[in-house]
Amino acid sequence: MNKTWIIIKREYLTRVKKKTFIISTLLLPVLYVGLIFGMGFIAENSRETLSIAVIDSSGYFSAPVLEKQNQLDNSSILTLVENVEAAEQNQKAAGYDGYLVIPALDWRKGLDSLSLNTFKSYGSATTAAVQAKIDRIWGQVVNDSLQIDSDKLLVLSQSRLQLKAKNIVDEKSDSDTAEGIGYVAGLLMYFILLVYGSQVMMGVMEEKTNRIAEVIVSSVRPFQMMLGKIIGIGAVALTQFLLWIAFILVAYNVAKEAGTQMGAAEMVGNMQRLFTQVNVPLILGCFGFYFLAGFFFYASLYGAVGSAVNEDIREAQSLSFPITMLVILSIAMMTATIANPSGPIAVWGSFLPFSSPIVMMARIPYGVPGTVPWWQLIVSMLILILSFIAMVWLAGKIYRTGILLYGKKVTWGEMLKWIVRKN
Amino acid sequence: MASILSLEHLKKYFESQKAVDDISLSIEEGQIFGLLGPNGAGKTTLIRMITGIFYPDQGNIIFQGKSFDPIRDVRYIGYMPEERGLYKKMKVGEQALYLAQLKGLSKQEAKEKIGGWFERFGMESWWNKKVEDLSKGMGQKLQFVTTVLHQPRLIILDEPFSGLDPVNSNLIKDEIYRLAAEGATIIFSTHRMEQVEEICDHIALVNRGKKILDGTVRAVKDQFKENLFLVETEAPASLPQETLPFSVVDRTDSKLFIQLKEGQTRNQALQFLLDNQVSILSFKEILPSLNDIFIKLVEGTPVSRSFETKKASL
Repeated sequence: MNKTWIIIKREYLTRVKKKTFIISTLLLPVLYVGLIFGMGFIAENSRETLSIAVIDSSGYFSAPVLEKQNQLDNSSILTLVENVEAAEQNQKAAGYDGYLVIPALDWRKGLDSLSLNTFKSYGSATTAAVQAKIDRIWGQVVNDSLQIDSDKLLVLSQSRLQLKAKNIVDEKSDSDTAEGIGYVAGLLMYFILLVYGSQVMMGVMEEKTNRIAEVIVSSVRPFQMMLGKIIGIGAVALTQFLLWIAFILVAYNVAKEAGTQMGAAEMVGNMQRLFTQVNVPLILGCFGFYFLAGFFFYASLYGAVGSAVNEDIREAQSLSFPITMLVILSIAMMTATIANPSGPIAVWGSFLPFSSPIVMMARIPYGVPGTVPWWQLIVSMLILILSFIAMVWLAGKIYRTGILLYGKKVTWGEMLKWIVRKN
Repeated sequence: MASILSLEHLKKYFESQKAVDDISLSIEEGQIFGLLGPNGAGKTTLIRMITGIFYPDQGNIIFQGKSFDPIRDVRYIGYMPEERGLYKKMKVGEQALYLAQLKGLSKQEAKEKIGGWFERFGMESWWNKKVEDLSKGMGQKLQFVTTVLHQPRLIILDEPFSGLDPVNSNLIKDEIYRLAAEGATIIFSTHRMEQVEEICDHIALVNRGKKILDGTVRAVKDQFKENLFLVETEAPASLPQETLPFSVVDRTDSKLFIQLKEGQTRNQALQFLLDNQVSILSFKEILPSLNDIFIKLVEGTPVSRSFETKKASL
C-alpha cells in the first residue's frame, strides 16, 4: 500500500501544482457567474422598442388612451393613424416598424387573431411588449364596461387560492427549490464524471505512449499503478470541489457583511431561504459519497480503455464512446426523474450503478425520507459500492494486459477476454 | 560461484503462441549474461517473468536462493525495458526520486544516491530540467541511472544501446563492466551479436520459446567450430591433388582456407604443408562468429526471417 501512496502523491501533486488547475479552479466560477449575467444582459439588450401605427375602427383605441399607455410604459410605442396608407407612407418618416388594424370589436368577446403587420420579422421577446400594452388597454376597456372600479379590481387581482405542493413527510422539501438543486447537482455530477474520468484515461494513455509503463510495473503491481492514478485524480477533483464550496461560503459571508447593496442582499436572502427549504448538509454529504463512488466506477472504466488504446486519440474516443453514452443516458434519466422524482425511472435509475450518482443526486433534494425512502438510499449506496469495487477489479485485469500491449487495435470484445483470462 | 537466479522449467503460454516453452537457466552472481534471440523469440516474456510483471504458467524462479517473490524482490532487481521512457513533463530530479521511491528507497536515501550518480555522469545541473528538454542521449543516460540507482543485485537491460551514440554507448558499457566487477549480475538481452561477443561471459539463445543453446561464449564457439584454418603463405602454395589430409575451402595467392578431415589434427596438417615445401607465414583457426552460429541455428524457422532482416540492417 505504501507504493500506491507514492503514486497517489505524484498524481495529485503534479496536477494540483499545474497552472491549468489553479486557473480553471479560479476561472470556472467566474465564467459561470459571467455566463448567467451575460446571458441576461444579452437578452435584455437584444429586445427592440417597436413603434407601431394603430388604425382603429373599434373606438376603444383613441389617441389619449394610447398616449397615456405610452407614458406608463415605453417598451413599445403605439400611435394612432388614419388608415393603412398613412402608416405605409409615413413608415420612414415616422419610423413605424409595423401597424395594427383594429376592427369593430365586441368587448364581451375580444378577438383571437389580431394580426400585427410588421415590415421586418421580430422575435417574441420584442412583440411581447406590444402584446402587454394591448392587454392593458383591453383590460381597461373590459373593466370599464363591466363597471369594475379600481377597488374591485384590486380584490380581483389579489384574492386567490394558490395551490402549492408540499411533502408532509419531509417538512423541508420544497419542490421548486428541490428541482433547481437537483438539476444543478445532477449536472455537476455529470460534468465531474466526464471531465475527471477522461483525465484518468488520458493519464493512462500518457504512461503508455511515454513508454514508462513497463518501467513502473517492474516496481509496482499494475493494479497499484491504476488505483494510485484513480485515487490521485479523484483527490484532485475533490480538492477543486471543496475549493468551490469555500468560494461560495466566502462570497456568502462577504455579501452578508456588505448587505446594504441590492444584489448582495438578495443573494444572502436566497441562501438563507435555501437552508430552510432543503437539507443542505444531507445533500452535501450524499454528493460527496456519490461523487467519489461514481468517480471510482467511471474512472476505472476509463482507465481500462486508456490502457488498451495506443497513441491514437480517435481510437480512445471510439472505445470510450459506450462509457460516455452511459453518462448521457443517465442525464436523460435525470430529466425524467426531475419530472417525477418517485416514478419508476427515478427509482430504477437510482439503483443502477452507472446512473445512480446522477439520478439519485437529482432526487435527494426532494427530501429524504419523503421522496427517497431511507432503504432506497442505503440500497443504492450499497449497490454502487459493490459495483465500483467490482469495476476497479475488472478494470485492473484489463489494465494489466493492455498497459504492456503495443501496436494492436483493441476492441471491447477483446478487453472482455482479458478479464476472463488468467494472468 | 553461487547462482543468483535459476529458472526451472518456466512456461508461459499466450492464446496464440507458446511464448516461453519450458526454459531452464542458471545465472551466476557477477556474470554478464547475454540473452539472445530473434524478435518474437520469447526474450521479453521471459524477462517479464523474472521481473515479476508476469506470473509463469508453470515452473519456478529461484532468486538469491529463495523462491522468487515479486513484491519482496523487486527491490533487488533493476530493469530497463526495450520499450522505455520517462514522464516528459516531470523534472529530472523528481523523476529519479519518484522511481527510486517506487523501488522502496526512502527519500533521503534516494537523494544521496541520485547525487552520486548525477556527479558521476556530469548531470548535476539537470535536476530542475524537464525530461522533454533533454536530448535523446541524455534521456537514455537518465534512464540508465534510474535503473541502477537502488543498487540492484540483478540488472536486466533489454537492448540497452539502441538509440545511443558511440560515446554514450561506451559510457554505459564501462558502467556495465564496473557494476559487474562490484558484484552485480547483469542480464543483457539483445539481437546484436557483436556487442554480445564483446561484453558477455555467458550466453543463452532462445528461439520460438525454447532455449536452444547455453554456455560461455568460448564454449559455444568451440561447439560450433568447423575445423577451419587460415594458412598464410609466402608464395602461392602448390599442393598435390590427391591424398590431402584436409580440403581446401578457398584460396588466394597468399591465403589458404582449409578444413581438417575427420580424425586429422592441426599438426598433421602442418606437417603435410611443410613436407610439401609450403612457406608458412601464419596458421590460425577460424572460429565461427556468434552471428553465424545463430543464423545457422534459427534458420528455416518462421521467426528467423525477422532476425535476418535485422542483421542485414546492422
